[in-house]
Formats: sequence, structure tokens, C-alpha cells
Amino acid sequence: MYSKEFEKIFKIAKDKADDVEIMLSVGKSFRVRVHEQEIESFDYADDKGIGIRIIREGRVGYAYTEEFSDDAFEMIVNEAVENSKYLEDEGVVLLDGYPDAEMNLDIYNPELDEVDIEEKIRQTKDLERIAYAFDKRVFSVSHCIYGDGFHYTRIANTRGLNKEYKANLATMFISVIVQDGEDKQSYADYIATRDFRDIDPEQLARCTVNKAIELLNPKSIAPGTYPVVFDNSSMSSMLATFSSIFSSKRAQEGQSLLAGKHGEVVANHHVTIIDDALYHGGHSSRPFDYEGYPSQKTTLIEKGKLKSLLYNTQTAAKEGRESTGNGSRSYKGNLNVSPSNLYMTPGKVNRDALFAKHDKVIEIVSLAGLHSGANDISGDFSLSAEGFLYEKGIKKHAIQQFTISGNFLDMLKNVELIANDFRFSLGSVGSSSTLVAKLSISN
Amino acid sequence: MLPKPLIEKVIEKALSRGADFAELFVENQYQSNITLNDSKVKQSIVGRDYGAGIRVIYGSLAIYAYTNDLQEASLLAAADAVSKAAKSDCRVKALDLTTLAYKNLHPYQIMANDIAKKEKIDLLLNIDKHARAYSKLITQADLGIYERMQHVLIANSEGVFVEDDRHYSRIRVTSIAEKNGEKQTGSESPGGLIGYEFFRGLDLEDLGMKASQIAVTMLEADYAPSGKFPAIIDNGFGGVIFHEACGHGLETTSVAKGVSVFSDQLGKQIANPVVTAIDDGTMPNMWGSENVDDEGMPTKRTVLIENGILKSFMVDRIGSQKTGYEKTGSGRRESYKYAPASRMRNTFIAPGKSKLDELISSIDYGIYAKKMGGGSVQPGTGNFNFAVAEGYMVRNGKIAEPVRGMTLIGNGPAVLHKISMVADNIDYAAGMCGSVSGSVPTSVGQPAIKIDDIVVGGRKES
Repeated sequence: MYSKEFEKIFKIAKDKADDVEIMLSVGKSFRVRVHEQEIESFDYADDKGIGIRIIREGRVGYAYTEEFSDDAFEMIVNEAVENSKYLEDEGVVLLDGYPDAEMNLDIYNPELDEVDIEEKIRQTKDLERIAYAFDKRVFSVSHCIYGDGFHYTRIANTRGLNKEYKANLATMFISVIVQDGEDKQSYADYIATRDFRDIDPEQLARCTVNKAIELLNPKSIAPGTYPVVFDNSSMSSMLATFSSIFSSKRAQEGQSLLAGKHGEVVANHHVTIIDDALYHGGHSSRPFDYEGYPSQKTTLIEKGKLKSLLYNTQTAAKEGRESTGNGSRSYKGNLNVSPSNLYMTPGKVNRDALFAKHDKVIEIVSLAGLHSGANDISGDFSLSAEGFLYEKGIKKHAIQQFTISGNFLDMLKNVELIANDFRFSLGSVGSSSTLVAKLSISN
Repeated sequence: MLPKPLIEKVIEKALSRGADFAELFVENQYQSNITLNDSKVKQSIVGRDYGAGIRVIYGSLAIYAYTNDLQEASLLAAADAVSKAAKSDCRVKALDLTTLAYKNLHPYQIMANDIAKKEKIDLLLNIDKHARAYSKLITQADLGIYERMQHVLIANSEGVFVEDDRHYSRIRVTSIAEKNGEKQTGSESPGGLIGYEFFRGLDLEDLGMKASQIAVTMLEADYAPSGKFPAIIDNGFGGVIFHEACGHGLETTSVAKGVSVFSDQLGKQIANPVVTAIDDGTMPNMWGSENVDDEGMPTKRTVLIENGILKSFMVDRIGSQKTGYEKTGSGRRESYKYAPASRMRNTFIAPGKSKLDELISSIDYGIYAKKMGGGSVQPGTGNFNFAVAEGYMVRNGKIAEPVRGMTLIGNGPAVLHKISMVADNIDYAAGMCGSVSGSVPTSVGQPAIKIDDIVVGGRKES
């Protein structure tokens, strides 16, 4: 797609820059929201953008545009050249042809693009209807949404690279508020898939309403230090929030807790964390990264020991090593480093075993304030949480909104046991229920 | 941006199958972002955002489509697509767009692209120098200068036609202090709906030092205790408590569905009588201000709560249609990629009569949150949380030692009644607020307030 535009930009840049990389991102998406069995909104999106990276006299410059016209292309080349005069990224910037990549990842399902819109609406209405009908205590279905999207990425450079891939995904999301007397609780969940037949409104509605109902009539507990189980989805939230500690870029800038700890024990021996851009059918799977570098599977922490961080070619060159294929960038931004499918490997025990380890255990099923109450530079967190109190392995009651506080690295060191209920619960971040020996609780 | 006859044609096309309302939003934006780290320029990127969104309302159904292809054929195709949800053919009255005149409340002098990059970089380097000079414990400073010139055009089937230029300027400094392998951060990030002259008016030394002072203070601080205590939340960014605990619940996006805990509370005493709260888009050159909202309505000053009584919600077009309340000029969106929704502008608790000292001396044992971090709320339950960026203990009516790692949680409706004292030292702070229609610039503000008790989540082992 857009070969003509690529040629135009290469031509404009020919005499102005030594090397050029062009990244094109094209997206199409659809979303429907249902409220009280009426369609509340339809959204159609059709967008595209081009970001360029130029090298001139050994310096790099960036610019982007969403307007595809000769004037705009001229503007971005000139701006990128101008920007290159000031950037002081001392690393060597590499553009290369890079070998071909694994393309058979099952990240695009043509059938999904063919699903009838009426069918999507019917399923979304079913989701809401089932949720309301399931229990009298359902006070409101605050969000009931189906969405799907397609994206296409193409990267080319003056060193002969020219690669493309496409991917799609459908998601269904529900959030419910349940009420019992004066008490209101809410819970939200979603499913994401590339096979429309996997979408099961009944299952999603029931699970979400059940979770919300379990949270009703919470009691407070004494503030103090408790053993804590993060369920698989809240563990994924923690891992996602602190994923930047694995960024070599952040480490090189002095902003990662893992800087300089290669080979050291940074977590309990139960903990193995992997980034795998080749994970079959994974939400963030891709044949190559945003530099066109082939994707790979990288073990970050193996049985507690730090094995590797995530690299792009630039941060890798600074340390004299190879990229891990984690170069990331939107057309609007600079080259960065990001995880792809990031996950903690599952343990062997049933999740019930986690609650039986101590007399009192607190389970966390939902977290809030992750963007403000967690500091990925210090590792400190103090978050709002919802969950349950277990005594001698038995669920006693929901706990009134409480806080959990600690430090992410301490928490990884204090992992006592991991269950076998693995799930990619946060799109491309996956975990299993995880028992942490102690965390501070307040409510 | 686009010729009027084309705009009329697009709106007429969107209406052609019997829709009640159609609207076109066109955006052309220049963005520049320069960041500094290790005292070096690590990012300098300029770009153009460009696109149009077409919205059609048919009964209670809203249809939105956007594209960044603004050729006549593509726009008409998009208009045709959104029109299809309506069921019948109908004759569309010829549209006569009338340009809406408004007073420019937020004049600016110097455009972002009229200033050489060198000057912007020197400005960042200057702040960087002051941030690092504050203490040897400062090991890193992360800075950024962000400018955005957004040109919008809004036209609708009611004949409204309006254009506006919004020039945003913001600067950010984060200092990192380090000792014995531990790291703490402190940040400052002022901004305004104003031109480059904003940066020239800043006290750069003060800005760098303030960020570093927080980082160093927090590095020396012990962990905060856990439990329920009285709290003083100081001015400026402290207003995030009202923003989260109450503000989001007063947006018709959640009120119209009956989801908000405040849905049926209009005219009722929802807060302590010392609380008066306002959402105001007219404040000159403030970060959350506008001339017109993203639905083409001139912005307003809206009294939300007066002496504790709920006076008004924040109402956009859809919200007005669903609730029957008058629009308050609160329809906002991040960009053409979002349909508008009711959103906050500059939202603050009005100054009271007490002095900060009186608030502090009224507490035997509690906490003093000098500077807040961000937070979030669940509008359905009213449960909110927010982080304290710079906090201290209060002992025997005096500010005592600094404490770190604090999050405050509570329930919006409950906490509004617990605000028992309001000081007179009002101040405001810039932030980005994320919600259904994307991330929009908003200001929060308040004088210092006293909350009789709130749950503090710390990690000091007791």
C-alpha cells in the first residue's frame, strides 16, 4: 500500500539526507456501544500516518504527517533535517536491510473482516441483555461495547529494507454496576480474539456479573501486613505497569531499577518473565519490530535471575550487543523500546493452593490508580484495590476498597507461589495468580 | 480549511437519510515536542495531525466516523457511511452556514514555529542546570517542551460554522534524586492556552529547584503510615481530589445513563456548605480554557456546587438531549479521532475564609499533602484514589517530617461532606485528563482544604 507516497518521500529526501526510513501505519476500525438494548453509538475510524527517520551527517531527525500531500512530505523532510541538527543521541543510528522474518504468526484472520455488522450488533445487545437478566442486583450495565480493528504497517529504508504486515483483532467489553441495599460495586472484563466464533456474550456477561456480586457487602479489615494473592488479571496489571524496568533505553538513561543488574538475582526463583513477539496468535505478535528488525523470544528473568533487557538496534549498539527486536515507535514518535507479548510463566499448582499457604490471605481482583500511584523509576507503589479476605483457604468476605503498598522489586523477591491459571488477561501481558508473602494493606 | 460549499454538501449528505443532526469537525494541528535527558536533546519531533470527524445523531443513536483523507470524494463517502444508520429517505433543507462570532478570550502573541529550536533547547538546558544545581543527590533530570497549535473548524446542521486557533504551551521537568540505590522523583509541569511568551514569563530557576526539592525531600522521607487520618490537601494540584472524587461524576456522559452516583442529586446538599465548586472555560489563557467547545458552542463558566448544593452538571449536546439540561459548552475531544463528550475545563473549589495555618493547627495527628500526583475514579461507585507526590505528617498542629509512597482512597459522595475547612490560598495546576473522548487539557485548582478523615495507604510497618 502507498508505494507512490514512499517513492515521493525517498525522492524529496534524496539530496537532503544520507539515509531515510519511512514508517507507514494504516488503521481501520469499527465500534458499537449498546445502552438499554438501543445502539448508543457507532464509530468508524479510518486513519493513516507516516513517520520518517532521516540520518544526516551521522545525526538522526524525525517528523510525521497525517496529511498525504506533496507539501506535507516536503515539510516533514525539512523538519526532520532541521531536527537532526539538534538531537544529541550519542548512539550510532543504524538503518539496515535486516533478514526476513517469521511471517506465519496467525495475527490476521480475513474472516474477521467479513463478519456482518448486524451480527456484531446482535451479539453486543445479547451481552447487555444477559447481564441484566442474570441477577436482580445488576443496577446498570455502564459500558457494553464491541469493537474490531485492522492495522497495516510498512517500513522501508534506503538500505533496501521494505517489509509489511497486517493484523486484526476483535474485542468485547462490559462493565457492570451491581447494588445490594445501599452498597454498589462494579467490575469490568473483556474478551479479545481474532475468531468471531470465540465471542461468547453469555460467558462474558455471567463471569463479569458474578465477579461484581462477589464484591458486594464488603467489610473493612485491620491495616497491616498480609500475604497477598494477585489474581491473574491484577498480576498482569502490575507487570504491565512496571514493564518499563525491562527497557534498555530507560536503563541507559538511569531510570530503570534493573540497570547494571545483569546476571544478578532480582526475583524469587519461581519467577520467569519472557517477552515473545513470535507468540503464536499473540495480541502483540509481529514478524518484525518498528525498525524492521526480525522478532524473537527473549527471556528477561529466568528463575529469578536477570538474563536480558529489551533492546532496539540503537540501545544494543551502545552495549555492543544485538537488538532483541523490541524497537517500538508510533509514526508520531521517536524510536523507543517496548515489550511485545510480555508474560510470567505459570506455576504448577492449582490456585486454591495459594490461599491455603497462610491463615489469612488477601486476594486482589482489581486495581486502580496504576498511572498515578505506581512509580516505575523507584518501583514504589501504593494503589487502590478491591478483593477478598481468605481464612484458612476459605473465602470469607469482600474487603472494602483498600490500598496495597510496596515496591515492585521487593514484591518479585517475595513471590512465594505461582498458580497454573495462566491467562493473557491484559491483551498482550499475561500472568497466573501469584502469591506474594507480604504487602502493606490499609483501609 | 475547507470551502463552505463543500462543508454544506458533506453535512447535507450526512443528513440525507433522515438524521436529526449532523456535524463536521475538521482539525489541522502542528505539534512540536523536544525532550532533554542527560542534559542532551533526546527527542525533537515535529508533526502535522490532520483529519475530519463526521457525527450524525438519529434519535438517541450517535454515529461517528473519521478520516484523514479530506478530499471531497472521501468526505462524501464518510458522510454517506454515517447517514446509512438512519432509516428513511428525506428531503434535506438547503443548509445555510452562518459564521459564529465570539470574542477571543485567550489571545497569544508568539507562535511555536516562529521560535528557533535553539532557543527552546537553551531554555530546557537552563532549567536542567538549576534542577541539578539544587543538590548532589540529583542524578538525572528529564525535561520536555511541548507545543501544539490546533486549528479547528466546526459546522453543523443547525447552521453553526465556527473556527478557532488554540495555541498550547507546556513545559515539564522531572528530577530524579538517588541515594544508596533508591530513587525518588519530583515534577513540575506548568502550561497554558497561550503562545511561546508563556515560557519567557517563567521563573526557570524556581521551576528546576522546585522539582529537585521534592525529589530530595522524598528521598529523605520515611514511608507513610497506613490508616484513617485527618488530612490537609494544599492548593494547586490538590484540586485533583475534586476532579476525581466529584468532577467526573458530574459529566453528563455518566449522569445521562444514571450511572453516576450524583445522577439524581441536583438541588441537593451533596457537600459540606463550605464547598463551592466551579468549572470555567473562560479563564484567560488557562490550560483548560477554550473560546468555543468542540461542538461549536462558546465556552462558559459553570457553577457546579454552591455552598454544598449541587447546581449544575457539565452538559454536552448528547447529554442535553438525554437529560433535558441546557448545554454548558462542555463538549470536548482530544482530536478528530474522537466524538465529543462532556468534559471538565478548569475545575476548582472556590476560595474560603480560613488560613492554611488554621487548617494545620486544627490537627493533632494527620497528614499534609503539599503536592498531589494523579488519580482516578470509578463513577459508578464514586470510589477514587490519588497519589501524594509530596507529603508530610502533621503532629500537634504543626507540619512534621516528610513521608512518601502515599495514596489516598475514598468515596466521592462521602468525602465531599468531610471537607470541613477551606482556606483562601487558591492556585491552579495543569493536567491531562483521559476519558471517553480522549485526553484533553484540564486545569485543577483549589485552596488548601481539610478533610476530617481519609484512608491513607502507606507501607510503614506498624
